[in-house]
Amino acid sequence: MNEANIAAPGSPAPTEPTRIDPRLLEILVCPVTRATLEYDSKRQELISRAAKLAYPIRDGIPIMLPEEARALEE
Amino acid sequence: MNTTQHDFVVTHYAPRAEAYVSSAVHSAGADLDQIEAFVTGQADARALDLGCGGGHVSYRAAPHVREVVACDLTPAMLAQVKRTASERGLRNIVVQQAAAERLPFEDGAFDIVMCRYSAHHWNNMEAGLREARRVLKSGGRAIFADAVAPAHPLLDTHLQTIELLRDPSHVRNYSAAEWLAALARSGFRATGLTARKVRLEFAVWTERTKTPELYVKAIRSLQAQASAPVRDHFAISEDGSFELDTLAIEAVAG
Repeated sequence: MNEANIAAPGSPAPTEPTRIDPRLLEILVCPVTRATLEYDSKRQELISRAAKLAYPIRDGIPIMLPEEARALEE
Repeated sequence: MNTTQHDFVVTHYAPRAEAYVSSAVHSAGADLDQIEAFVTGQADARALDLGCGGGHVSYRAAPHVREVVACDLTPAMLAQVKRTASERGLRNIVVQQAAAERLPFEDGAFDIVMCRYSAHHWNNMEAGLREARRVLKSGGRAIFADAVAPAHPLLDTHLQTIELLRDPSHVRNYSAAEWLAALARSGFRATGLTARKVRLEFAVWTERTKTPELYVKAIRSLQAQASAPVRDHFAISEDGSFELDTLAIEAVAG
């Protein structure tokens, strides 16, 4: 058991429901092009320039499906 | 990729997310013990729970590894997993929506892939396995546990039929041979196979998927008319409860 990963009982994890977990940003890529993504914190989107798609982040969960993404203008 | 089938799965599972967190079949079992043993001592590992559903693999694995990414197609499942992980103080579980056939992770992002009761839902099982291999480091380890079809076509057909009547999002339970061939083609080397039987209580099994009464009756009728080899293999009892074959395959990314 790795005790460091377990919070004290009763103390809720300090997650903000609308923010993406920074640990995910390290490894996320565009599922279409596998290129790296830009994080737009204001619009809560992950931008794939290569695929011209903006993937939405809903309740802190990136929705990495091309069919759910917003097409970017040229 | 088939959007329609994906939407179908998401719509189907959203109202059932909580049922999968509390389900006894899903939240306990020797295969979960095996998965926990598989990741024990891997304190530096980043692990992927591919098709996390109610999150039971993630909850078991999280205390042993650095980080678990719990991935599923259904956002309602992920919201439930996020909430449960927080309640249990498991801070190293992060959730991510994605399709198994198109994972949004870099090559070699993970040390371990865990996948339990998920592949039989995928549109394209082999594409999902190839993605699992791609996101694993070379030499990384994976464990796949799922319901499997018996090798005999008679038994296979009975199982797939009652599965589809029970759950219209059912795709296919693969046989052990199909699993091993697909894994080999996807770049995995199987290192261990463990076959188990899981007893499914009929009322609980159909309640979890909210199977309509018409289909419940159809399943019961098929069971009543089943030949002796089918009844014996699945150990079908009077109330429709039966034994499901499951397989846990440990593999290495070749």
